[in-house]
Order: sequence, then structure tokens, then C-alpha cells
Amino acid sequence: MTLDKYERVWLTAVGGLIGSFMAALMVAYLIFDIRLPTFEARVDPANLSSTMFANLGVKKRAENAYDVVMLAKMWVFDAGKDGGSAGAPPVIRIPRGSRVTFYVTSLDITHGVYVEDHSINLEIVPGQIARQSIPFNRPGEFRIICNQYCGAAHQGMYGTIVVE
Amino acid sequence: MLKNERWLVGLHILSAFFALFWGALMGPFQTFHRSPAFVAAFPNSTIPIFSYYYQALTAHGVLNALFFTTMFITGISYYVAWRSFDRPLVGIPLAWVAYVLELVGLIAIFVVLLNDPQRSAVLFTFYPPLVAPPLFYIGLVLLVVGSWLGLLVVFLTYSAWRKENKTARIPLAPFGVMANYIMYFLASLGVAVEVLVLLLPASLGLIQNTDPQLSRALFWFFGHPVVYFWLIPAYVSWYTMLPMQSGAKRVFSEPLAKVAFLMLMIFSVPTGIHHMFADPGISSTWKAIHTVFTLMVAVPSFMTAFNIGATLEIAGRNRGGKGLFGWMFTQKWSDPVVAAQLMGMLQFITGGITGLINASAQINTVVHNTSWVPAHFHQTVGGAVALTYIGILYWILPMIRGRALYSKKMALAQVYTWGFGMTMFGHTLGEAGLAGVPRRTLSGLSPYLSEAATYWLNANAISGVILLVSVILLYANIVLTLFASKEPVTEGGYTVTKGDPTTPAILERWGLWIGVAVFLAFLVWTIPFIDAINLTEGFQILRYSPAGPAPLK
Repeated sequence: MTLDKYERVWLTAVGGLIGSFMAALMVAYLIFDIRLPTFEARVDPANLSSTMFANLGVKKRAENAYDVVMLAKMWVFDAGKDGGSAGAPPVIRIPRGSRVTFYVTSLDITHGVYVEDHSINLEIVPGQIARQSIPFNRPGEFRIICNQYCGAAHQGMYGTIVVE
Repeated sequence: MLKNERWLVGLHILSAFFALFWGALMGPFQTFHRSPAFVAAFPNSTIPIFSYYYQALTAHGVLNALFFTTMFITGISYYVAWRSFDRPLVGIPLAWVAYVLELVGLIAIFVVLLNDPQRSAVLFTFYPPLVAPPLFYIGLVLLVVGSWLGLLVVFLTYSAWRKENKTARIPLAPFGVMANYIMYFLASLGVAVEVLVLLLPASLGLIQNTDPQLSRALFWFFGHPVVYFWLIPAYVSWYTMLPMQSGAKRVFSEPLAKVAFLMLMIFSVPTGIHHMFADPGISSTWKAIHTVFTLMVAVPSFMTAFNIGATLEIAGRNRGGKGLFGWMFTQKWSDPVVAAQLMGMLQFITGGITGLINASAQINTVVHNTSWVPAHFHQTVGGAVALTYIGILYWILPMIRGRALYSKKMALAQVYTWGFGMTMFGHTLGEAGLAGVPRRTLSGLSPYLSEAATYWLNANAISGVILLVSVILLYANIVLTLFASKEPVTEGGYTVTKGDPTTPAILERWGLWIGVAVFLAFLVWTIPFIDAINLTEGFQILRYSPAGPAPLK
């Protein structure tokens, strides 16, 4: 078995390309600490009253640091009183320049959380708490969209984040 | 031609295309109903046959991605084993049982989808706690068991051939088929456990609870390798059938093709967590490790790109192509069998690049579960795989039927409308995804679409019209070839029955490579599974139907 000259060049280039992709991803992971969602905690959807999800809404943790505790269910996001009237798509207000940590779980089936123009994308798997933290630096209105199929009225499940 | 083999191959391939007909027909109507302009213009229109959007989407996924592919692969694997080992298949009765199981599975899926559209709309990933009626899972189990029996027939035939050819190298085509089946069998154990232990009992009411995170892990143990299960037969065609069809005679480097098949077999399974990058119950460390293997599995595809490119260059030069690029223009662009595969390869360039983007853990956050993802896999499975299978159909159907293809022109029009339509589909749906459109969503009714999202979804519906024309051309030609074609075809087709003797013997030591594949699978899946299994806090989630928020009783 002999390796053609051009094939050797090609394979070397491919090795370099894939190798540099891996290196870039590892640098992002290890040095810049850009990590994907990781194991947070389990939660029983039947007993949310004894968990952090008993108290939904926007919580100020420190200057420019907020937690958004939200429940996803067929077919609304529930952010408590801070999200506006119950049953309607929530509107969450956040001051510009804050870092927001989302804590989301599901009451029933799998949902998703995606925020327009921001690096947050979570599967909301029942029985698990999903957590992701992102900065909101630009003012504007951004939609929170359920991006995991959740049954008959999935297409209408959304909310809004207003960065003021 | 051997009678049993001919019928087996013919029936599998026609049944596969029967499944594809109903599945593919849904696709264009889905693009229409995702388009806000279409929904505004025709607010009362429904999708034909599977009239509820998510029922149609489930049919589209299950019939195209599971039944079309698996039944086609079973048929083409029989064909390759029979023609390349140059002997009758061993285990013909088993092969017939396999066919009947797959066919009954297909019928079961039609019955459940048509009878119970709301409850069976769990899509082709059937994530719990959504639970479909039992018949849905029974249909899938029959399909998988049938495919296992098909695998057995291929390996029995190989072992008979090996006894007759003790020192010969395995011909390239069955080598690819065998590597594919080994990888598929290993991967399918995940989904088999998920369906038999968790989902079917939940659907039958034997257990009241599910564990969604564990189910997702088991599903994706299978879910990513299965896309390579669909792709490898297309590679087999590019490596072993296209060289003859295009005029190159033989592939540029057979040993490297075998290395590529082995790499696909080994690196397909340890990658599945890249579908769960956004999952809460999987540690970010294991997400990073699976990222590395996902990038590794791109290497055999890059090797294939070179090998097939070089083979096509030989073909083009044989046909008078000159200079650096001239050989590209002297390909058989007007032969539907070749043109379909070439269009498939062009799709695979964008499909492959978008795949690398999806695999890049952090970048995945931007596109995960947006319509970018179906845009990607319609370039790979809807483009490269489907077009190659269609090319194979145009080549094999006349041989099996004994009659020439009814219309070459119709076939060419079909290939180019599919290629162009799917490219436009991919581009528009990908742009929509970047504008925030979620995947698997009846977006035409969504209240939250941005202006850009609306524009791209409307453009996407235009690609649906082109693809609908292509589907009609494809099936008109199949029916006319079967029943109206008069011109006889004398037997021809696949003839390479010898493996390249310079192939290193170590490449054919299946035991060794199966060991490596199993070892790697254990290495990168054991801990994520242990993390996902929690006997005290897991298995607490009630069962739901997609129809509404009340748990199932």
C-alpha cells in the first residue's frame, strides 16, 4: 500500500485543519472558560414547592447580576409576577450591562430556551435544572423562544426580554 | 439473475421508495405551512393525507429517515453481498422474514399515524415524556429487528465466501457494507434498550414514569451513528459503483477507502453527545470529549473527498477533459445515474461544512435547535444520501425489472430540480435559523418572528415548490418504468468481485476493529450513562401526549 504524493499533502492539510479546530475549541473551553451547560441538579416536577422554582421571577444577586428563575410548561414560560400577567408570554426587564443567570426547569415535557441574538440555548429536560449565564449589553427587545418541540401549540410558546 | 435475490433486492428498494413517497410528499407542504405569507394567503389550507402539521412532520421523519433508509440499505446490502461475493446469499428464508418484518413495521406506522394523529405526533426522535401509542414503537421495533436479520444474512454470506476464498481480500463494496452493519448493530443497542425497556412499557401502561435525560442519552448513542449508517452506503456507491458508471473503471485508492470505512465504523459511536450540547444532565467535560471524536469522524469524509475527487478526475480525463479544471466539465452530467451522485456530492460540501460548525461545541449554542439544523441535514441526508440512493435506483431498477428507465430526460430534470431545490432549501432555512427560527415548529403561526425570519421562511416555501416538482417527476418515472417501459435491458451492472491484493491484511481483521469500536464506545459513554441513571431521583417523570398538558393516566 503506497500513499500518493498529493494524497499525503491533502491528509496533512486535513490533519492541520481538524487539529486547529480542536485546539481552538479547547482554548475556548479551558482558557476562556466558555463552557456548555453542565450537570446542575435534579428536581422533581411534582414537588416544585420545596425548590427554588417555588419562587419564580427575576432576582437581584449583586450589582449588575441577576437570576431569572423560570418554569417552562405546555405552552408558556412562567416567570412569576415579574413576567406580567399569568398565562401570557412573559416580559422580563433587565438593566443594560447585567449578567443574567437563567435557571429553568420543565413542569411537563421537554422544552427549549433560546434568546434572539444572545449565546444561550438550553434544552429544558423534565427532572433537570438547566442553567446558563450570559451578559446583556445591548438595549432592545429580544424574544425568548421555545426551540424544542413541545406538542400541539409549540409554535406559540415565547417570551420577551427587555434590556433597558 | 438469481430469482430470490432479484426479488429481495427489488422489493426492498421499491418498498423503501414507497415509504419515501409519503414522507417526501409531506416536506414541501411543511415548507408552505411554515411560511407566514402562505398561511396569510391560504389560512384554511391543510396538508394532504397527514393533515395535522406535527403528524406530517412525524411521518416525514419516520418514513424518510428511518424506513426509507433502512429498507433501502437492507436491499442494497443484499445486492452488494450477492454480486460482489459472486455467490447466492446464505439464509434466504431469514432474508424474507426480515423483509416481512420491515414491511409490517411500515404498515404499523401508517396505521398509528393515520388513526391517532395527535397522540402519535412525537416526531422521529420520540423523546419522552411524550409517549405515543404502542403501535408506534412496535413498528420501529419490527424495522430494527428486520434490519438485524438483514445484517445476519450479509455476514452468513461473507462467512461462506471466506470459506471458499481463504486468502483473498474482501472486495471493497461488501467491506463497506460490513463495516456499516457492525457500526449500526453496536449503535442500535442503545435505541433498542430505550424502546424496549423504557418507552414501550410506558406506552403500554406497564410503567407510569419515564426518565427523559436517560432516554435522550440512549437515543443519541444510536442517533448520530445512524446518520453514518445512511451515509456509508452512499460512500459504497461512490467508491465502487460510480467509478464504473463514470468511466474511471476503479477507485483511485482502494486501501485508503477501506481505512476510511474502518474509521467511520470506529469513530461514529463515540460522538453522540454533540446532539446533547444544550442538555442539562450531561457534564460539560464529556461534551468536550465527544467534540474531539466528532471532529475525528470528519477525517474519513475528507479522505473520501480526495479519493472520489481523484477517481472522478481520472474519469473526466478518460473522457477527454484537459487542464486543471477541464475534467470537471467532461463528467457524465447528462447521465441521471452519475448526475444524481455528483449533485449529491455537491450538497455534501455544504452539508459537511455546516456539520463541522454544529460539532464545534461553543458555536453550536448559536444554532442548536434552530432551523439551521434541519437545513444542515437536508444537505447531507436529504441531499447527498437521498440523491445517491435515487442515482442507485435509476441504475438498479432497470436491471431488476429488465426494462430500461422510462425517461432519461425526466430523470435528469428530477435530479437537477432536487439538487437546486435542496440547495435553496438549505440556504433559506439555514438563514431562517440564524434569524432565530426554531426547528420542528409550525412557524407560519408563530407570533414572534422577526422580519428576517419571515423573509427566509417565505423563500423556503419557494424551494418547497421546486422539490414538489422533483418528487412528482421521480415517482412518475418509477411507475412508468415498472409498468410502461418496453425497451429490454440485458443484465449488467456491478462486476468487481476481487479485493485489491495490496490491501494490508490487518484492515480485514474484523475482531480487532470491533474490539476497538466497542472499547471506545465504553470509554466515552460509560460515565455519561452512570451520570444519567439515578435510581432514587430518576424515573419520576409522568407520561404526556403532545395533545395537551394533562399527564396520561
